[in-house]
Amino acid sequence: MDKETKLKLYRSMVRIRTFENGCRKLISEGKLPARFGMYTGQEAVAAGVSAHLDRGDEIGSTHRPIGHLIAKGCSLKKLLAELCAKRTGFNKGKAGPYHTFDPESGALGANGIVGGSVPMVAGYALAHQIKKDGGVAVSYFGEGASNQGGVQETLNLAACWELPLVFVCENSSPEVQRMLGHEIDYPQLSIERVSDRAAAYGMPGSSHDGWDVLEIYEVVGEAVRRAREGKGPTLLEFKVHQIEGNLEGRLEAKEDEKVWCPIHNLKQRLEAEGTLTPEIDEKIRKEEVTDVEEAITFALGSPDPEPIEAFDDVFVEGA
Amino acid sequence: MADREISYSEAINEAHMQEMERDPNVVLFGENVSSSWRGATKGLKERFGRERVRDTPITETSFIGMGVGAAIRGLRPIVELMLVDFGLVAMDQILNQMAKSTYMSGGAVNVPMVLRASYGAGTSSGATHSESLYSIFAHMPGMKVAVPSNPYDAKGLLITAIRDDNPVVFMEHRILGRTKGPVPEEPYTVPFGVANLVREGSDVTVVATGKMVSLAMEAADELKKETSVEVLDPRTIVPLDEEAILNSVGKTGRLVVVDEDYERCGFSAEVSAIVAEKGFSNLKASIIRVASPNVPLPFNPTLEKQLLPDREKITRAIRNVMA
Repeated sequence: MDKETKLKLYRSMVRIRTFENGCRKLISEGKLPARFGMYTGQEAVAAGVSAHLDRGDEIGSTHRPIGHLIAKGCSLKKLLAELCAKRTGFNKGKAGPYHTFDPESGALGANGIVGGSVPMVAGYALAHQIKKDGGVAVSYFGEGASNQGGVQETLNLAACWELPLVFVCENSSPEVQRMLGHEIDYPQLSIERVSDRAAAYGMPGSSHDGWDVLEIYEVVGEAVRRAREGKGPTLLEFKVHQIEGNLEGRLEAKEDEKVWCPIHNLKQRLEAEGTLTPEIDEKIRKEEVTDVEEAITFALGSPDPEPIEAFDDVFVEGA
Repeated sequence: MADREISYSEAINEAHMQEMERDPNVVLFGENVSSSWRGATKGLKERFGRERVRDTPITETSFIGMGVGAAIRGLRPIVELMLVDFGLVAMDQILNQMAKSTYMSGGAVNVPMVLRASYGAGTSSGATHSESLYSIFAHMPGMKVAVPSNPYDAKGLLITAIRDDNPVVFMEHRILGRTKGPVPEEPYTVPFGVANLVREGSDVTVVATGKMVSLAMEAADELKKETSVEVLDPRTIVPLDEEAILNSVGKTGRLVVVDEDYERCGFSAEVSAIVAEKGFSNLKASIIRVASPNVPLPFNPTLEKQLLPDREKITRAIRNVMA
């Protein structure tokens, strides 16, 4: 892997974390009305996946979507405006974090129903297959969603039709239970690895650490190549650990969480090999902070929708 | 041309043929859509190939959701539900994703998809193979709902549905499949939201959809010596031609609504509410509904018949509203 790719992955992760910390601050100040699942600690997955995608490729996301959307190339300004429920957001303030759609970047879209986006992603893949344009679609979901009927059905359908699709399961169990602040008394999965389910549908599947972006980059590259070549879908599982963000904009994880922090992990390796110097690191961080600050200024300065706009967009005009 | 008579199923088949010929983005998938024994889709695979006409696994959630995604990305999928009852296993994809993606995205995406669903009772098939359910779709904002009552409307409404940039649920009555009627050979559209005045009359307005239209006509014929019955077929439930209904009731002063769907919170309730709210001063008598009572449809033919609207019940309702 060349230096540029490594730095691109690093920057993508820094961007996501900087943005989410910015969101945390806005929420604490009461300027961002939404509550949503954060992606902090999982950045390597979205960064490693989207490094292989073009603008014409799609992702379908979850209700922890920020990392997926940013890595796919969504405008930070329009994204933050949407989170702040402004008219200048991607979806005029109607989507919020759970339903964000950005057709321009192919981020289609976040979804408020657990597993809800997965069948739709099969449709994006079908459009590529029929148009023969070499595009692929990526479906993100969690280990909880992997139990949903629609997800299992779509694994089967995609395999039967050899759709150009990569299934990406981010398994944050048991971290989710910890975050929700309660114990789930019964197990959610009867197997250790969600990727074991790939065999049941006749597709390749494998499990990996979700904090090692270089490994993620490699395995996703293989799955995307396979999909583009018309060989069908792959199920990839990444074990992830949510880590705490902060209101001060610090990117570093707490000492006991560093082992799972993808930014820390990559930084150490890139420093050791000389790819990342303190100067380059500072430059990347500064640039991303500037972009996020600009997005905040844009979002907070944007108008709210007019009440009457509630009635718009139930249908589109034209036939 | 208009003299040519073909069946309701053949009319639906012809709409597919002509639209798939016209637009390569129109694709069809569902359970057994390539089968040669199903009138509505027979011959399509042979003509357009297995790339565009595809049999799916029996997994409604995934293939309806796939239709939504494909529509968002520029195809114009026609997705077939073998029976509307089977759509109940896919309610998230229909009611959340298909219906609401346009609104939730603030119009950034749209879903030009047709969900074709066979529906209807009278074949002694039991409660999961007999329902109408169009009121469920009409209840949820974001979908159009077409319910053709004859071959001409079936072809024209389906072509309109395929060309519409929004999701459309297209309801085909099982028993009407072999009913024949005049259908022009060339492609044509029947606009949504425009009711068809099937029979002019001055004493009572009967609003009916789908198979109920022919039953209402039989009742009107039976009563022609005593009552002048106007029969109005809205053709689409969403959008609904409220104006035509209100104008008709404005003329007749009496309303009977005939609806094969369940009565509670259904299409018959909606039409009654509209007239009660906006046309009350024109009413000379209470509105009467003839709908399926709030009971699941049974297998036994005698029990099933007991529940369904029929000519006799409509005739009785018309006499009661005139009394």
